[in-house]
Amino acid sequence: MTAHPSPAVFPYDPGGFWDEMFEAPGRVRPHYAPLARRLATLSPAEVERRQRTADLSFQARGITFAVNQGSEGVEKIMPFDLVPRILTAAEWRTIERGLEQRVRALNLFLHDIYHEARILSDGAVPADLVLGSRGYRREVRGMDMPGGVYTHVVGSDLVRDHSGQFYVLEDNLRTPSGVSYVVENRRVLKRTWPQLFHENDVRPVEGYAQDLLDVLRAIAPESADDPTIVLLTPGVYNSAYFEHAFLAKGMGVQMVEGTDLFVDDGALYMRTTRGRQRVDVVYRRVDDDYLDPLASRPDSILGASGLLAVYRMGRLSLANAIGAGVADDKAIYAYVPRIIRYYLAEEPILPTIRTYLPNEPGDLHYILEHIGELVVKAVNESGGYGMLIGPHSTRAEQEEFRQLVRANPRGYIAQPTLALSRHPCWVEDHFEGRHVDLRPFVLFGRELKVSPGGLTRVAMRPGSLVVNSSQGGGGKDTWVLAEGGSGSTST
Amino acid sequence: MALLCRVAENMFWLSRYVERAIAVIRLIDVTAHLELDAGDQERDPSDFWAPLLGEDASTMDSMPSPAHVRHRLAFDATHPGSLVSCVRRARTAAREVRESISSEVWEQVNTTYLALNDPLVVSEMENDLHAFFRRMRDALLLIPGLADATIAHDEPWYFLSLGQHLERADNVSRVVTLQGHLLSAPSTVYRDDAVRWLAVLRSVGSAEAYARYYSLRVDPPRVVEFLLLNPVFPQSVRHNLNAAWAALAGVSGAVGVADVGANPPARALGMLRARLEHATVDEVMEQGLHGFLVDLQNEIGRVSDQVTLAYFRQDPHVGRHMAVTRAAMILAAQQQ
Repeated sequence: MTAHPSPAVFPYDPGGFWDEMFEAPGRVRPHYAPLARRLATLSPAEVERRQRTADLSFQARGITFAVNQGSEGVEKIMPFDLVPRILTAAEWRTIERGLEQRVRALNLFLHDIYHEARILSDGAVPADLVLGSRGYRREVRGMDMPGGVYTHVVGSDLVRDHSGQFYVLEDNLRTPSGVSYVVENRRVLKRTWPQLFHENDVRPVEGYAQDLLDVLRAIAPESADDPTIVLLTPGVYNSAYFEHAFLAKGMGVQMVEGTDLFVDDGALYMRTTRGRQRVDVVYRRVDDDYLDPLASRPDSILGASGLLAVYRMGRLSLANAIGAGVADDKAIYAYVPRIIRYYLAEEPILPTIRTYLPNEPGDLHYILEHIGELVVKAVNESGGYGMLIGPHSTRAEQEEFRQLVRANPRGYIAQPTLALSRHPCWVEDHFEGRHVDLRPFVLFGRELKVSPGGLTRVAMRPGSLVVNSSQGGGGKDTWVLAEGGSGSTST
Repeated sequence: MALLCRVAENMFWLSRYVERAIAVIRLIDVTAHLELDAGDQERDPSDFWAPLLGEDASTMDSMPSPAHVRHRLAFDATHPGSLVSCVRRARTAAREVRESISSEVWEQVNTTYLALNDPLVVSEMENDLHAFFRRMRDALLLIPGLADATIAHDEPWYFLSLGQHLERADNVSRVVTLQGHLLSAPSTVYRDDAVRWLAVLRSVGSAEAYARYYSLRVDPPRVVEFLLLNPVFPQSVRHNLNAAWAALAGVSGAVGVADVGANPPARALGMLRARLEHATVDEVMEQGLHGFLVDLQNEIGRVSDQVTLAYFRQDPHVGRHMAVTRAAMILAAQQQ
């Protein structure tokens, strides 16, 4: 595939990284060729105009997220870069199979540790690591989840290193967000740049909300004939509030807040203008800690008192299940390859990143010695909070993290700093490389379904490796080319 | 689909705030016209504007300038009745029910809010007051228009409609109260009485309709009759109470209105309607316009309270109290 005519391309420096679009300076990867030809026909002013149209569209439609700042959140728009990220059908096959394998194994793991805990007595995963995890919930021990599924919605973060190899960076098994951007980014790009879609065979992403609805119906308690499904949001100040409304609307279900719910006589109800109405399934975007003030945080007003008891009686289904978070503990992440081998007797399709655990003496020593080269992360944080990126840190910050790690070895992990792949992004009036990751979404009801593509997040600051929206990260539309299309044979 | 109490309440207030915002900009526009019509008479222009601040004005050290009054009414975020405050509250309510309203309605509320928060808009108003007024009025009027066209006319929509009509009835009665000084001031103040009475009509967008309906020279009792008691004109109090009644019937469905005694909001609204149905303008003027209006506003407030108790929540004061702690907790509950 090297003989294709090199289209006239824009001046661009791929740097020393794996570039998603360029295999070498001036040489575009085959599956990006139609896009490159199209970009070459546009003047900077035209690209800029489209970029502005896209920005205005996000603004007008209020596609925003809230950032912690002062007593109320500040609404921000996630910066959208209009050059799409393209995955070949072959690349996608590997990702899809790898995620299916991973999610299947993690659910077997969750079922096991809340029942016989064979994997712990066999010593394949240290028991204290699991039982001591903040995500481990004694209250669901022995509970049988419909179909044995704990993680109905998964958003795993994938990254690519300098060789182009995909790795799983972390799993989000509790309340992963971002899928609304997958759909909205596509809608906006279709509107601002329809020609692109005539020249490429791109798999659609619109069906997500319907697929999610199927999952929620599938897990309803058997006693509910025509189950009432709701989406539980923490409320308008939550960072992902837009997404909650987006999904509730797409599924045609009520979006409720904690104060709309109450428990009576062994059932969960919502307050309506015509009295109470029974609720059977809750797609909750509220963390375990806040779901039931009687069970965990007594000050929580985001859930409903007594909800856990109804759940335990099997009169209510939750997605995701309570207790799923133990499997996305960043320390347990290090054991996922073993978990896959243990339950499926298969080799992991998608590799994980070498992870150093400070509560293992050898690892602790290594971390303290090499902290300047490592990424150190707090196991219980997300959203890019509580982390140190060694090569981008000061000596004082490194010393601070050394102290933190020593004081609380179970609270941290360290990984080598990856040279994340880059993608051309429109910056002011030209294209520059920015680091990207990929968060695909996996739905698991009766069967597993990986939504084609996912959210490509972009670290918008030059050189930055942090892609989280709360840290100024942006997004791209992500294309998976259809099987048999122009890009399906190249890798 | 069942309607959550919280959603119903936000629907109700969404349209109330939109309607209130429309009333505020109408008032600014009309006052500007009135000031211009007064021509070169020896009058302090502030005389036209200060009354719009109501009790606010009396607490000020000196007479506020017209620009000051306009700014406070349009852009002062600390003034709960200002245009920006009303639109911000409308947007907050719309965000709360984003999944229950159409995207068209949400986007119209949102873009109106964004337009009003553009820093350039302040100078735009002072440079061309009328253009600003038209742009804002049209943007706001599109909201109920889009709601009618894009939201199913079932229970949630009836709450929008109920809020809209109760609020409009209240606003019109307040405009008449506020402009009472025009209806009662000695006629020598203005060159032509007709001018000020027309101004009252204009502040609720009714001057043309009035002319068409009566085809007579304007005079105070007829203006009062038209704005309070006319059954068919969409800005009259009576018409709006009738429309609110129809909305309440939709909300209550088959139950409720048929059995008014068992439905407190229907009972309160029914009694109020009956009063306007049977009132004559001569009686109103004889008893005193001001007293009649104050009564009317209290009764509308009572209907609103009864709607709150019947459909939204038991304790009308709980919501506000919780807002601050809730915001902090929601922020703390991070997403992955």
